[in-house]
Amino acid sequence: MERSEEYIKNERKQEWRVELQKMTKAKDRMSIERVQMTEMAPEERIKSQRVEVNVGLTKEEAILEAKRCMDCVNPTCMEGCPVSINIPKFIKYIERGDILEAASVLKETSALPAVCGRVCPQEVQCEQKCFYVEKLNLPSVAIGHLERFAADFERESGVISVPKLAEPNGVKVAVIGSGPSGLSFAGDMAKLGYDVTVFEALHEIGGVLKYGIPEFRLPNAVVDVEIESLRKMGVEFITNYIVGQTASLDDLKKEGYKAFYVGSGAGLPRFMNIPGENSNGIMSSNEYLTRVNLMGADSEESDTPILRGKNVVVVGGGNTAMDSVRTAKRLGAERAIIVYRRSEEEMPARVEEVHHAKQEGIEFLTLTNPIEYIADENSRVKQIKVQKMELGEPDASGRRRPIPMEGSEYMIEATVVVVAVGVSPNPLIPNSVEGLEVSKWGTIEVVKDKMQSSIPEVFAGGDIVRGGATVILAMGDGRKAAANMDIYLKEKYLSKKVEL
Amino acid sequence: MKEFNSIEDILDFAINEEQMAADFYTELAGKMKNQEMKDTFEQYALEELGHRAKLEAVKNGKKYQVSETKITDMKIGDYLVDVDVDKTNITYQEALILAMKKEKIAFRLYNDLASASLDEPSKKLFLMLAMEEAKHKLRFEVEYDSNILTEN
Amino acid sequence: MNKIVEKEDFSEKVVKIVVEAPLIAKARKPGNFVIVRVGEKGERIPLTIAGADVAKGTITIIVQKMGVSSTKLCKLEVGDYITDLVGPLGKPTEIHNVGTVLCCGGGVGVAPLLPIVEGYKKAGNRVITVIAARSKDLLILEDEMRKNSDELIVMTDDGSYGRKGLVTEGMEEIIKREKIDECITIGPAIMMKFCSLLTKKYEIPTMASLNSIMVDGTGMCGACRVTVDGKTKFTCVDGPEFDAHKIDFDEMMSRLGGYKEEEKGKMDHFQN
Repeated sequence: MERSEEYIKNERKQEWRVELQKMTKAKDRMSIERVQMTEMAPEERIKSQRVEVNVGLTKEEAILEAKRCMDCVNPTCMEGCPVSINIPKFIKYIERGDILEAASVLKETSALPAVCGRVCPQEVQCEQKCFYVEKLNLPSVAIGHLERFAADFERESGVISVPKLAEPNGVKVAVIGSGPSGLSFAGDMAKLGYDVTVFEALHEIGGVLKYGIPEFRLPNAVVDVEIESLRKMGVEFITNYIVGQTASLDDLKKEGYKAFYVGSGAGLPRFMNIPGENSNGIMSSNEYLTRVNLMGADSEESDTPILRGKNVVVVGGGNTAMDSVRTAKRLGAERAIIVYRRSEEEMPARVEEVHHAKQEGIEFLTLTNPIEYIADENSRVKQIKVQKMELGEPDASGRRRPIPMEGSEYMIEATVVVVAVGVSPNPLIPNSVEGLEVSKWGTIEVVKDKMQSSIPEVFAGGDIVRGGATVILAMGDGRKAAANMDIYLKEKYLSKKVEL
Repeated sequence: MKEFNSIEDILDFAINEEQMAADFYTELAGKMKNQEMKDTFEQYALEELGHRAKLEAVKNGKKYQVSETKITDMKIGDYLVDVDVDKTNITYQEALILAMKKEKIAFRLYNDLASASLDEPSKKLFLMLAMEEAKHKLRFEVEYDSNILTEN
Repeated sequence: MNKIVEKEDFSEKVVKIVVEAPLIAKARKPGNFVIVRVGEKGERIPLTIAGADVAKGTITIIVQKMGVSSTKLCKLEVGDYITDLVGPLGKPTEIHNVGTVLCCGGGVGVAPLLPIVEGYKKAGNRVITVIAARSKDLLILEDEMRKNSDELIVMTDDGSYGRKGLVTEGMEEIIKREKIDECITIGPAIMMKFCSLLTKKYEIPTMASLNSIMVDGTGMCGACRVTVDGKTKFTCVDGPEFDAHKIDFDEMMSRLGGYKEEEKGKMDHFQN
């Protein structure tokens, strides 16, 4: 897992790589156009919550795209990857047609390649640092699409490799929360030989990958295969277990757990605290998406009910808002509308998601902010009073802040409203662990880059530390925590053994 | 409305207002369980004391100017439900709401006093004070906008 | 998966289930609740805990057939497994020695009241309990309540057992008779509302335990929002008990009906 410059350079000098480098001229590589991801037609895909939008690349497409990669001496793309995937190496394996080998390169450092290939914002990470973008002003190599292709190929082939594991060292570590951060941590610790148990509060493993991200972006089956890989590596999963409630951290210590990784995520949904917000029909995006994604409420067969409406308004401009509004469309809304306080430019959602949403007929009301909800005689929301906003002059930070326009209020009809304005950190662990330092935002304080909290044996990462982050940043935290916890545990428990 | 007989009167009133605001935050700080929330409210109290010092300097003859630039009013606090100040575990979000609303009330007070002033020097002084409060409120609004309203 | 070790039909609609859950049995305190899910297509529903046996590693839940999920749960037999069971959730009841406590339960609300009555008694309080049901066959846990209370009053709406009348009538009689220091009420929302109005009149501090709609039960979904003293609270993590005099019961009742149409549809689908 070492990622030193020298290692990367030596890898690049391997015979097969040199051969590939020589086979095609740089000019010819550059003349290939970036592959276009095939998508399901919008009018087809909105018929089901469980039809994936992106179809994936064919093997021919993938190999051609892999050919575009220059196998740079200095692969800047890797700097943009929070989990340090050896990007040129896996891409060159694809070019060579050795897809399974490419997949195992991904697994060296990423516990969830098929997930990352789908939900990572590559356009602002690895792909932004690609030689094509930085030096040629051309579209980058489609690293994300290739990652997804390799991971999918392996899964569909049924020949799923298990990464090399160190000798078991018998040290028990516990992971709290089975979201991307916890899974990434668990994978690395298992590779290092630790006895890893993941505790999950819900009845399914995967955290936000299961309850949050819809299946049209990330099928549950894809997540399950990655979890299965971790099981094969010896990671144990316990569902329906809330650390801090079912048993305390101290109870787990008594059971022999030597260290803990808290990846409990962003728990509490934020509401706007405006009049009428508790009317029926108004819910958090967490509730809306959990009912559909985790509980399957879009299906007749599920016991979990879901509210449907002719007009559905989703408040917010992040990926969660896009997921919610596109879900609403799939549940049969005639009008599914995003209401967002700033302009489209400022939306935190991925450009791809906004683009897909527009294809699907989602309406965007930007520079618009709800100020009150009006309910009918049964306390069900029927209208939203909104106000138009304008962007003010740039402030000290250079950001233009939205300011309400006097007298611009008007009504929007809606019987379902989904509030997707962000979440705050899950307070369960911070509240239940004595001596754990918590910031004013409710996040766990950690030593940067080490991810170690004020309690030496407790490490933390992901949304519980960052407040709100992407899947891949949470995974990066998990890797950092694993590397540092390994140092901590080796010093404390394993070095003496060696001496003996 | 309150009557003021001299500029000195106005300044004494304003100095007292700032002191009361500082006391309010100090008291809140004392109630908080979380150390960082304690620190936050103590910081707010310090800022109010800073305003007090500024006013005292004016009282002692320091010149002041009413700036021509308009201070942005993001009106974030205008639509939010009030915060319960009796709690011992106010969140940082609630602290910001509280502060925004408090500054807005102070801004309104000085603005109203300015419009009710008959002589030019008093009006100018009140406007200056209102501006100070508006600036202070904007600071809280920007923090709220950047950290709480991340996805809306 | 949690195995059912004991089952008793209290009535056609109300069932007592004893289920293996050793960790919850150990960790639970009066006032806590659990979330259960029956079957792979099952819904997550909150249920109160009526008791626990730490030695046997079991907890007791009492379920009333209301919709699809509770009906499915009631159909399970001894030896069957509950697909998912998680807890204990919510904040426990704050039990102190305050003097005389009036505990009022209605319908299946009597079940979660039992551990609270036990707790108050153990803490050294004089405990007067009023339990109520629509009719005799719907009355539960009378013996257990009697054992743990200094005085027990039983009320039925139709007079088929105990005294005829509403729970509030029994309460008011006690309040007029002696000084009550604290009151707790658990039952249907409408009952709790009237209990609360009554004790407010007499200025008796009162807690009510709410049974809001929930999905995860850990603060994640916000379905259980309730307005207390003008502020939005989450029943699952801030409650389930709140100062009854400050709860917006009307909003709470309307929110309980938030999925009424959809739930009816699910029930029709289930029965056909």
